[in-house]
Amino acid sequence: MIDANAYLGDWPFRKLRYTTHFALLEKMDALGIEQAVVSSLKNVFYKDLLAGNRQLHAEVDHHPDRFLPAYTINPRFPGWEEDLAICVSEFGMRAMRLHPNYHQFALDSAEGTTVLEAARAHGFIVIIATGMEDTRHHHPLVKVPDVPGEQVAAAVSAYPDVRFLVAAANFSGINAIWSQCAPAQNLYFEISRVQGPVGDIEKLCETMGADRVLLGTNLPLHVPEAATLAVVHARITAVERRMITSGNAARLFEL
Amino acid sequence: MIIDIHVHTRLGPDPHGFAYLLDQAAELDVTLCVNSLTPKDGTGMPQSPSEDEVRRCNDWTAELAGAHPERIIPMWYLNPAHGDFACRELEERVAAHAGLQGVKLWVAVRCNDPRLDPIMRLCAEHKLPVLQHTWFKITGNLPGESTPMDLRELALRHPDVSFFWGHCGGDYEYGAKCARGLPNVYMDLGGGEAMSGYVEILAEHESADHIVFGSDAPGRSLVSQLAKVYGADLTEDEQEKILYRNAQALFARQEAANGAGP
Repeated sequence: MIDANAYLGDWPFRKLRYTTHFALLEKMDALGIEQAVVSSLKNVFYKDLLAGNRQLHAEVDHHPDRFLPAYTINPRFPGWEEDLAICVSEFGMRAMRLHPNYHQFALDSAEGTTVLEAARAHGFIVIIATGMEDTRHHHPLVKVPDVPGEQVAAAVSAYPDVRFLVAAANFSGINAIWSQCAPAQNLYFEISRVQGPVGDIEKLCETMGADRVLLGTNLPLHVPEAATLAVVHARITAVERRMITSGNAARLFEL
Repeated sequence: MIIDIHVHTRLGPDPHGFAYLLDQAAELDVTLCVNSLTPKDGTGMPQSPSEDEVRRCNDWTAELAGAHPERIIPMWYLNPAHGDFACRELEERVAAHAGLQGVKLWVAVRCNDPRLDPIMRLCAEHKLPVLQHTWFKITGNLPGESTPMDLRELALRHPDVSFFWGHCGGDYEYGAKCARGLPNVYMDLGGGEAMSGYVEILAEHESADHIVFGSDAPGRSLVSQLAKVYGADLTEDEQEKILYRNAQALFARQEAANGAGP
């Protein structure tokens, strides 16, 4: 299996397991996950993301067969273009993660447009983390709404030559985005925060096709078995199951 | 074997969700404790249902329990604002149903309200476990929505009633601390996302003896909620307690008291 959405690092609001690459690899092995697309969890809150990206590179560099790093870029922070160049030249960056809500930029703003132009120029796969966890549980001083679906759909439509992976959207969020830009050929979703209703995976496959749906865990924030069991128990064909658990991610990320 | 103490007939517009759930429950050997927050012919979930709506909700629950006695334990839905009617409705349902059963309270009235007390006295008499919805939302609660602190008050006031602590308080870290030291509460895992450390935090504060499996299906998928247990750092014994033994023991008390049970 391939996990299309995971992180390394700590989270400020509670103690987590599987925050280091050693722990994450152990959990991946236990679940039969051969490879994971990982980003720095600290970079949700760091200001200077290059520091978090450097740390991520140092951690995953020893396991190039297990991890594909997706480096985080914040187009509102000074010098991000130079930092991006470092991620490309020194770290071999192929995938870009954006947190438009935590980093406070709109995808259709000047900053959003500039960073998406950069992604297009470099041929990056763009992972848009639409949320991190249930907004009802947020810390009272850090209430961060999910990224508006219409912004995601507009970006997907405006950049048809950029491949987008929507990460950590729930079932209704995924459907809202898809309904606004279907049948976008450059759009993929991972399932870490879907978690219902019953028949969720089947419904996603019916709506957008199994070739758009990827296994993702949102580790270490979420219990990864929520995603793996959802695919195991879904009433889909063996071919669709293979597409979701590995085939789509292998094709998208060229793994 | 698994006992799921938190199942609805329908959440949202999908009319096929429950049929899917029944099939999956048979496949995974899950007994479903079912309540209905919406009448069979309705689509919405009134937050403060009328007497007629409550009756129609329970009619649907009774119909399903009658059709699937091996799979469904009914949880009778009540609105404490209805006073005597709520008690009569419960008495009639209990008298008419031969098997195991319980009570469901949602968001009509905050659960520390004294209007719950007559219902609680009936629950104590019949040994009916009460699934009380709770949620502490940083985004704001509904007007009649109970917080974990509200349920703590109720549980202290009625030590002879066993409570399923709905959604573990929503914010499970908040709920876990609110429930500490209460012998008559059982934390319901149902609903909410499967967050890493969810069950471990509860087990640390309440012990596995006071956690029960719930899913909040069909709004949540059964397997995503089972993942909270299967993905947690638990012994086999703790896992079994959560998945069925704790709930089984509660219902066994009811069976012993009333001679009820399938």
